[in-house]
Amino acid sequence: MNGLISKNSLIAAASAAVLAFAANPAAAKDIVLGASVQLTGPVANTGRYYRDAYELAVEKINAAGGVKVGNEKHKLVLKIYDNQSDVNLSVRQYTQLVSQDKVDLLLGPFASNFALADSAVSEKYKIPMVQGGGASDQIFSRKFKYIFGTLAPASNYFGSTIDMMKDLKPAPKSVALLYADDSFDVSVGDGTRPKLKEAGFDIVMDERYSTNATDFNSLLSQIRSKNVDVVLVAGHETEILNFVRQAKSLTVAPKMYSFTVGVPSEDFRKALGKDADYAFGMTAWLPSADLKDRWFGDAAKFETEYKAKFNYEPDYHAASGAADVEALVQAIEDAGSTDPAKVRDALAKVKFDSIYGPIAFAANGQIDLPQTVIQVQGDKLAAIHGTKGAINPAKYPMPAWNAR
Amino acid sequence: MDLLIQILVNGVLLGGLYAVMALGLALVWGVLNIVNLAHGAFIMLGAYLSWHLYTYLGIAPFLGLPITAVVMFAVGYAMQRGLLNLVVRAPMFNTLLITFGLEVVLTYLAQLAFSADFRTINPSYAGNSIQLGTVVLPLARLMAFGIAIVLTLAMWLFLLHTRLGRAIRATAQNLVAARLYGVEPRHLYAMTFGIGIGLAGAAGGLYGTVSQINPYIGATLTAKSFAIAIIGGLDNPLGVIVGGLFLGIIESLAVLYIGATFADVASFGVLVLVLIVRPSGLLGKTA
Repeated sequence: MNGLISKNSLIAAASAAVLAFAANPAAAKDIVLGASVQLTGPVANTGRYYRDAYELAVEKINAAGGVKVGNEKHKLVLKIYDNQSDVNLSVRQYTQLVSQDKVDLLLGPFASNFALADSAVSEKYKIPMVQGGGASDQIFSRKFKYIFGTLAPASNYFGSTIDMMKDLKPAPKSVALLYADDSFDVSVGDGTRPKLKEAGFDIVMDERYSTNATDFNSLLSQIRSKNVDVVLVAGHETEILNFVRQAKSLTVAPKMYSFTVGVPSEDFRKALGKDADYAFGMTAWLPSADLKDRWFGDAAKFETEYKAKFNYEPDYHAASGAADVEALVQAIEDAGSTDPAKVRDALAKVKFDSIYGPIAFAANGQIDLPQTVIQVQGDKLAAIHGTKGAINPAKYPMPAWNAR
Repeated sequence: MDLLIQILVNGVLLGGLYAVMALGLALVWGVLNIVNLAHGAFIMLGAYLSWHLYTYLGIAPFLGLPITAVVMFAVGYAMQRGLLNLVVRAPMFNTLLITFGLEVVLTYLAQLAFSADFRTINPSYAGNSIQLGTVVLPLARLMAFGIAIVLTLAMWLFLLHTRLGRAIRATAQNLVAARLYGVEPRHLYAMTFGIGIGLAGAAGGLYGTVSQINPYIGATLTAKSFAIAIIGGLDNPLGVIVGGLFLGIIESLAVLYIGATFADVASFGVLVLVLIVRPSGLLGKTA
């Protein structure tokens, strides 16, 4: 009896092995990219950009034949987990991706606090992670060797905005700097403060508020009572929606306000309707045909394809996510191998043009891209100020709410 | 001085909104001894309902409130009848588990149905305000505040003077005696839960006009409502108003004097203080 079972199972095992072999005749091994992304939970709204961008980029690269390693062409495969907007879960999922699923290379999650925690996993297992969701300077200040980032440094988010403010007439003087108390926004605050002082602006309010705050009436009342010219807010989209709505209901209209997130996103502008008008923001990416790329053609084509596939506009998060996949592919081809250490060394030296812009990483692993100041003007989003100065005239100063 | 008055006004108006959010939670907790962890999720559903009424049927949010409240009442009634009555006399831990589970399920169903996009109920007058000297009163908040006061007073009179209200209070005080007088507890529990959820729905409609809606607003709103119910006490709807106003003013002042990061620290610090000094709430009877 025992002998029979073992004989049967032996035959089963052997035939399974034969079948598996036959189903996959000498095809080059797939290259698996793993990521844990916020598909549900409070930041799912931005997390989806990353899943969608990864999918689109992988699809496009596979359609073009895949990744060339030596003489073989490999297909890319994505393995994505939903971290439910929970940092601890995301760390566990990355650990699972590298230790159990044995993915070849890693793509990043959204948001700095996630990238900050998850990069500890990539460092420990020495698997390179290219992430386009975390901009905080903290991520790159730990001398980690396996983390690469394609978002421009948080400390410089308001850099171009401050440049623009110097040219505005009538010249603004007093500035309120508000920022949420998470890794990214604190980095923005810390980077912006010295820049404002250097440019000669008077910081009359410098306030850190708690993440997920819903009530800004007290801060807004202070802004009004101090007659602040410029309000700079580093926060999350939900907070900024509340901020703008409450500014209107308290009739607080500074000469200008600018936000680190929200303005480039279609969903944000839709939720505010015409109250979004005059809001400034910034983006490191605009879907311009000047940004050439070997897979998509150019950034404008990327935007069209993305919109057709997912039914909403991509913003810089999506472009940054797509660039992450491209950076990994480029590095694999440069290295001629999927060996993590070799890919890591190739990433450190990588230099190519993507739909997101020229990709090259500084010694700390972060990209350096300039931010373009943008403003909501009517139902359009206008580029206002870039590295070479003014692009379009800013609508400034912002009129009172009852004069719109 | 102007700033201080403005901040106090902000705090009072915020407190009114808080009170209406907490009213249903306090009622259900006081009568059924269920701490409804899904309360915030019901506020979220009410907000979405109001948003749909406004966006697709053009019903002004403040006029849509009664519809939202009635629909949510029916949801609450059915939920108590079909689900929560099974655990109403079980240990508190079971009711916490089941309402927590409900919270998770409702939140994820909401994301499936409505996506994670932000919504706002934004009629043209939502951003209007009334200027009194140097003080600005945002219209939507003022209306929300007025509705909160009306609802609370109505609740109070209802519990004090109607047959159903007295039956609810009687059941809360002594179930056996109430049954001897002919109260049918299953129906009564369902009515109470329905009223609580109806109030949550109305609060959601108000919340959507002054803030933003997404499937994940529930958890923080539950926490806020919980704090207010404890600060105000469960005996009496007027306590909830006091708790809401108290919390609204404390938070607004904390932002002004200590810093915006500390608004939550202040409000939950007050919660702890109240638990130490007056465990049955500011207006509660001391044991």
